[in-house]
Amino acid sequence: MVIVAGAAQTPYNRRKDNSSFRDWAAGAFTAALAMSGLEATDIDLLVVASESDFFTLQLNPASVLASDLGLVGVAAMRVEGGGASGQLAVHAGVHAILAGQAARVAVVGVDPSASQLSGDAIRTLYGYSFDAWSDGMTGVTATVLYALSWQVYAEESGLDERHLGAVTIQNRANAMKNDKAHLGRLHTADEIERSAAIASPYRRLHCSPLSDGAAAMILCGADAVPAERRSAPRICGTGAATDTLHLGSRPQKGRFEAKTAAMKRACKQAGIGPDDIGLAEVYDSYAGAQLQALDCLGLATDIGRELQDGRFAPDGGLPVNLSGGLMGLGAPVGAIGVGQTANCALFLEGRNKGTIQPKSPPAYALADTHGGICTTAAVTLLAQGDAA
Amino acid sequence: MINHTLKLDYALAPGWLEPWVEALTAGTALARTCSGCGRVSFIPLKTCPCGSDAGTWTALPGTATIEKRTDGTDGSFALVTFDGADTSTVVMLDNVPDGAKRGRIAAAGSAKPALILRPVDEEGAA
Repeated sequence: MVIVAGAAQTPYNRRKDNSSFRDWAAGAFTAALAMSGLEATDIDLLVVASESDFFTLQLNPASVLASDLGLVGVAAMRVEGGGASGQLAVHAGVHAILAGQAARVAVVGVDPSASQLSGDAIRTLYGYSFDAWSDGMTGVTATVLYALSWQVYAEESGLDERHLGAVTIQNRANAMKNDKAHLGRLHTADEIERSAAIASPYRRLHCSPLSDGAAAMILCGADAVPAERRSAPRICGTGAATDTLHLGSRPQKGRFEAKTAAMKRACKQAGIGPDDIGLAEVYDSYAGAQLQALDCLGLATDIGRELQDGRFAPDGGLPVNLSGGLMGLGAPVGAIGVGQTANCALFLEGRNKGTIQPKSPPAYALADTHGGICTTAAVTLLAQGDAA
Repeated sequence: MINHTLKLDYALAPGWLEPWVEALTAGTALARTCSGCGRVSFIPLKTCPCGSDAGTWTALPGTATIEKRTDGTDGSFALVTFDGADTSTVVMLDNVPDGAKRGRIAAAGSAKPALILRPVDEEGAA
């Protein structure tokens, strides 16, 4: 058993206050550590998620953060898996505890995706998230690949731009009620339709923003958690998988098959199924990606109808991206998966202040992240704490 | 603020993809045919989904059918299948008119393995 003793995130936004990624990482870590009731000297492993040295201009960031966070002497590693980096870092921490290699793990996700480089430079670097020698050299962008995959999925599932608009409006509205969110907005369908076409059918407002920020978690084995945190939420399942690198090589170009495989693995470990999930933070780098994710995770059977019926709304049967998701909360890449999992733990515990905190938290929550065009998928399942 | 400029000039060795890179640079399509199952992959795969890592290089005619297309500020791109290939690939569209269903591979002109599709003279002509 792995218990989430501490969980925190900084605001996600475009920093203009002269602070650095090292400040944000320290802020998130300090808050998570305070929540856990532990001291820095109690930590025996630091796992850092950061997607690219190009963003931070810092190779071996784990060593830098170990020093900044007062963790010199602990084991430290950096985990990278594109957009899934944060979620994979959580998995690395969980696996270290389950393997008996660590008792109390700090997981810190951070990236300066907004303020340190120009938007064009970041988007160019993102273009090397796929196959750098084919897609990258051709100038294929992330938005292009997601747009083409969405077109295939939409044709097969009977969805269209109205569904993209509904996701956009919902996630940005959720973000309006999150005081840490980058893009809380009250959009209209007309406003979305008037925004610039980036890669049809995706318009600017269908896309997640580039954000700065950090998130942190303190994970403990059952025998290593402070007494006052024994009933905190626990991570009950982790699953990860990969898909063929090139979108065109896949038999089903509209489906995120790696997500399906990762979900099955996580559910098997947890001993639960998709129907048990009562709250989900899913990877909505683009509006359509959220719908593809819900379908491929097995969280929807008739995605268009369920979206229309409000099942994924805050008061629906399966609230999705209450935080605002990447589209509303923001997308500092290395922090995304850590933040999603941290938010799920806080939602389950009923202490996610400044957000749409469910009054009656469910039994289980899901955090879903992926890298590339879902080339690397990672799913984490969380459960209410066990006081026994 | 600490202002810092980093300029990097890479010399990327193509490795096993060298024949493919040379062909693309010249504006021709070279696919990988799996020795195990015969699947023709363009973009080439080092290991086929059937599990075989043995294969031979196969020259394709260079014409392709457009399946899905996207346009916007990022440019014009399409998911296409090249004639003779069993897989699809994503290409940049260079002056391919909206509604066109066919195109032909073109050299990038920059010694890069870029996948570029230009119009064919006659719709559907190989």
